[in-house]
This record gives sequence, structure tokens and C-alpha cells, in this order.
Amino acid sequence: MRPARPAVRFHPSRTVDFVVVGSGAAGGIIAKELATAGLTVVVLEQGPRVEPPQFEHDEIKTLFQSALQNNPAGFTFRRSASETAKPGQIQLLYHRLVGGGSVMFTANYWRFREIDFIERSRLGAISGTGLEDWPITYRDLEPYYTKAEWELGVSGEPGPFDPPRTRPYPLPPLPVKSSGVLFERGARALGLHPQPAPLAILSQPFNGRPACQHCGYCLGFGCEFRAKSSTLYTVIPMAEATGRCEVRPNSYVRRIEVDRKGRVTGATYFDENKKEQFQRARAVALCCNGSETPRLLLLSASSRFPNGLANSSGVVGKYLMFNGYSSSSGVFERPLNEFKSVTATRVLYDFYESDPKRGFYGGGAPDARSFAYPTIFALGGLPHDGPSWGAGYKRILRDYYTRTMNVDGHSTSLPLETNTISLDPDMKDAWGLPAMRVTYKDHPDDLAMMRFLQDRAIEILEAAGARRTWRQPVQETNLAAHLLGTCRMGDDPRTSVVDRYHRAHDVRNLFICDGSSLVTGGRGQPTATIQALAYRAGEHIAAFARRGEI
Amino acid sequence: MLTPDQAADLDAIAAQIFPTDDTPGAREARVVTFLDRSLATWAAQQREPLLHGLDELNGEVERRWPGTQRFANLAPERQLELLRAQEQTPFFQQMRFATLVGMFSLPAYGGNADKAGWRVIGFEDRYAWQPPFGDYDAEAARGR
Repeated sequence: MRPARPAVRFHPSRTVDFVVVGSGAAGGIIAKELATAGLTVVVLEQGPRVEPPQFEHDEIKTLFQSALQNNPAGFTFRRSASETAKPGQIQLLYHRLVGGGSVMFTANYWRFREIDFIERSRLGAISGTGLEDWPITYRDLEPYYTKAEWELGVSGEPGPFDPPRTRPYPLPPLPVKSSGVLFERGARALGLHPQPAPLAILSQPFNGRPACQHCGYCLGFGCEFRAKSSTLYTVIPMAEATGRCEVRPNSYVRRIEVDRKGRVTGATYFDENKKEQFQRARAVALCCNGSETPRLLLLSASSRFPNGLANSSGVVGKYLMFNGYSSSSGVFERPLNEFKSVTATRVLYDFYESDPKRGFYGGGAPDARSFAYPTIFALGGLPHDGPSWGAGYKRILRDYYTRTMNVDGHSTSLPLETNTISLDPDMKDAWGLPAMRVTYKDHPDDLAMMRFLQDRAIEILEAAGARRTWRQPVQETNLAAHLLGTCRMGDDPRTSVVDRYHRAHDVRNLFICDGSSLVTGGRGQPTATIQALAYRAGEHIAAFARRGEI
Repeated sequence: MLTPDQAADLDAIAAQIFPTDDTPGAREARVVTFLDRSLATWAAQQREPLLHGLDELNGEVERRWPGTQRFANLAPERQLELLRAQEQTPFFQQMRFATLVGMFSLPAYGGNADKAGWRVIGFEDRYAWQPPFGDYDAEAARGR
């Protein structure tokens, strides 16, 4: 089913009910929930609109030239506030185009578990950290996980440690890859409990979209088949089909405006010609992601909000969490051909919960993965202690390319007040605005948990019969695709930015719903939770609007 | 955009980075065409550092083996000896990166001629596959 082309265009001077900033995993859902509830919506998206027929299997364009990342703005990085931030040194991976990160993500779709919402009361405070309970529980969010799975299309099968669910998965798991078979073999030999990895990728035709064709160009690429469940060709066309929603690409929001009464009045943005425009709205929802949303609030400081819009708590930009990550590889006797099909087909959750006996806080999960794009693998996929060029290198590459798999670890990041998004005092981005400044240092427990899962990954690969295993050394994070925690939810306006319905404590007609809302970062794969929060927020915001409570 | 001398030198370097054995290497995959095209277009900002690095390499060739003038004129064993000594230099690292990208990127960029690079490693760009994908899931499916 071809998505309906937008039938409505609003002139910026027309006051729409809502401006939604960002059209990604959260923004697309919020726009659809509001538009289908009868509200008029303009979605301002920083990036262009790229449609599935334009997605290519081109490593140079997509991975090296950031064709999907479209990242002309720079940012600076430092480990702590005692240093001066410098450009580069870390890679923030997000995608500036309609659909955002939901276009190119791995599509791993893990629900949070009950423990994720109540770790502070279960484990006690962890000194020096901002570990807190959420203002909502798993049970509050469960109906919306279900809604997301059934509306967007998620494939999976319940596993032994799963939290309760009110409906089964709408689609059965994707077929297992050789990496999944070997992962299962090794895990079972160790007494662990592997299960199918839940994926927001269609294993069968669904809602007019075809099933995954196993093309292999998944993580980092857009899906030309529309089988990866991106908002681009699911909820966004549903929003547009109402005739009340316009998605306006190439619109870089620089400021949310407020009136004398402290209510937002709309968004000032640069249009595709870098000319300033102002879209009027009765209310605004920010869904930019966990780094762009706090930056926009800080850029929107005014005399009424000198520390940034909605920032009376001082918490905007703080408690940035990236999730922990590790990667290990194994080479086997016979071909696996991991260049085919999706990124991950098996996972195990035996290590999900934090175990005080380990001596550090942390939990997570290893999964069976591939990252076998030919150029990327040739550049860095082989063991680092071997030759990297020449006849010997070529021999190993020919032996290993089809016979290698990875086991990656995904784990917790503690929320630290000192890990932040702020505005750089010196550097400017491509539009002349203060660049984003990232301050981040992994907590020692986060690194300990990454190493713990890496050790388990090597054990699994060896138990599976790998001829040889090797690791990417665990070090301080220098690549972050999960951007979380920077406008955390809470009941107390002194220690949180939004309330339990994603309304800014300080501004009655401003809502924030994306990765910034998370109080704890989970064990990785936050998209399922971000999207469940977006469905829940959208429903409640629409109800507030109907009742005149905005 | 490359002069014939520059092309010959870069082709020789690439052929040592990814040599020909009983299967095609960088020469057959026409990595030098990839380099020429890329440096004239999307990788233009790498052109000056790369060609400057090549000049320095050729300076080293002339210093070690006076009268040889250029890398491409060296016997293969001497080419290898020199590159091993230069392994850690930014120029060599840039050439290694460019050679491997030229071997395995889409043929539309000028390298990976006739998909030779992909065939060498066992990759196939079929765009759609069906299970079984590899030996282990095939074996598991038979065993069920």
C-alpha cells in the first residue's frame, strides 16, 4: 500500500493545534495519535524526506558519507567539566531524516522489564548516581508496548524471563541464522536460556507491507522493502491520511517561543533555504532525541527561563546515558554467511538483573550478531593481532569472511548528573547556533558490566566450537547510538523535567517524549520503550486537549 | 586526474596491499580507477594529502635505491620491504583504507571491477535471500 501523499499544507502563520519537533521513533507516533484524535499537527523535521525506493546498498554513501545521517552540525566532546570540549573524538549516531533513527536502527525490540522501573527501591540508592524509580511502572506501560508491537509490526516469541504480556507477538520470529544456531548451542552447553531476538522487522506480510527479504543491509541502512518497522512508512502516512497532519522536512527548529504568560506559542525554524520562519501552535511536543531535545530547550532560554526552557529544576541535559556495549567474534569451520538477513536472531536474558554478588551494579544481555558488510569487515572485522594488509591478510580474510560471527553485549549505564548535553561556549554549528557539547564518562560499574558480558560472550563462542575467538577491547564509550535520560520524567518538579504524562512541569502546553524521558536507560535497545511511551503520551495529550486542559 | 606515473605508483601500492594470488587482487579489481575517480569527486579533500604522501614515498625510494625514481620501478620484494617500513605512516594507512574500499565497494565507484572483490571473499549482492543462510542453520533445519 503506497503511503498517501500529504494532502494538507499549513501556512506557518496559521495556528495549528500542535507542532511536533522530530519525526523519528517517538515523533511519528505522537503526530499520528494527535492527528487521529482530531488535532491539527505540523511535524518539523530537521532532515530531508527519503523514501524507500531511494535506499541503497551502498556502504560508501550510507556509512562513510552519512547519507542518512545528514549531519552538517558539529559537536564537541569532553570526559568531564574540568576539561575543554573539543570537536570529534566521539561519534553520536543519529539520523536526520523523516523517520529518524527508526529508519536505520537494528530494530531490536526489547521491552523493559518490571525491574527497570523500580531498581532504586529494590537495590537502594547508589551513591554518586541519579538512580531513581520511574513515576510509572511496567504495568502502566504494558498496554502501549502491546499497541506498538501490533500497530508497527514486531516479530518474536516469548522467552523464559519475559515480563507479563496481555497479547502475544503479532508475528512469529524471523528465521534463525547460523550465528543464532551456534549461539544457542554454546549457550545451552553453559546452562543458559537463549531465545529468539524480538525485532521490529516483519517475518510475514503485515498491514500492506511485505516480509523481510533477508537482503542483509539492515543496521545502518534504510529498508527498501518497508519490512523494518520504521515510522516513515507506518504511523507517519497514517497521520498524513487524516488530512490534519503536515510533515515539513528540511526544517531545523532553532527555538521554541514563549509568551509573557510562560506558554509556548510555536517554533522558530530555518527552512530549506536557511531562512527563518515561525510556525504558530497552541502547544508543542518535542521528540528530537535525547541529545537534540535538551539542546533545543537550552537554546530556547529567555528572561523567563534563563537556564533554558522548562528548566527550573536545572536537570535539562543531565543524566545522559548511552547504554553499555561490547563486541566479540568467533570464526568457525564452515560458512555462516552472516552477510545475509537481519542483524540479530538470538538473545539471552540470564544476566538481565543486577546481581550484588558480582560486586558492581549492572545488567544486560548478549546476542548473536553479524556486522558483515564487505568493506566494513575488510577494514576492521579480523583479529587485530594478525596482518592488516598483504598476502597473509588476504588469506585470512578469504577464510574468515563467511565463517565469522559476533556476540555483542548490551548493558546498563548509570544515570550521572555529570554526564550531560550542554551548549558549547565557542563552537557553532552549520546554522551559526551554539554547537552541542557532550560531557560523558562511563561509571566504573558500567565498564565492569561491559567486561562481564564480553567474558560471557567469549565463553558462549568457545562452547559453540569456535576455532578462534577475539575481542574488541572494552574502553570508554566513543560511539553512541542510544541517547537517553536528559529530560527525565518524575513527579517532583525540583528533580525532573516532565511529569508522568510527559508534560513539562514548568510549561503547561509543552510536552517532551523521546529518549530524553527515560529515568533509567534499560539494558540497551531502548526503542521499544521510547515508542510505548510515545503511544501513551499521545493518548493522554490528546485527552488533555479534548478536555481543554492544555 | 592522476598522471600516468601517479597511477602506476598507486596501482603498485594497492597491488601489494591486496595482492593477486590464484584469485584477483587490487590490480584486477581496478582499484586505481576507483582512486582516480574518488579523488576527483567525493574524496577530493584527500587528494592533496595522498599525493603529497606519494611524493614523500618516492623520495624515500630514491634515497634508498638511487636512480630508481619511483615506487612502480622497484622490484616487488623491494616494494614490500619499503611498505613494511612505512606501515605506520598516515600515508600508508590512508592507502590501506582506500585500497580496501576500492576492492569491496559498489562497482559503480570504479573499483571492485566485475564484482571481483566480492567473489574473492564469498560475498554476493543478491538483494533477497531465503533460508537456509549458512551451513549451521541448514544443518539445524535438517535435524528438526
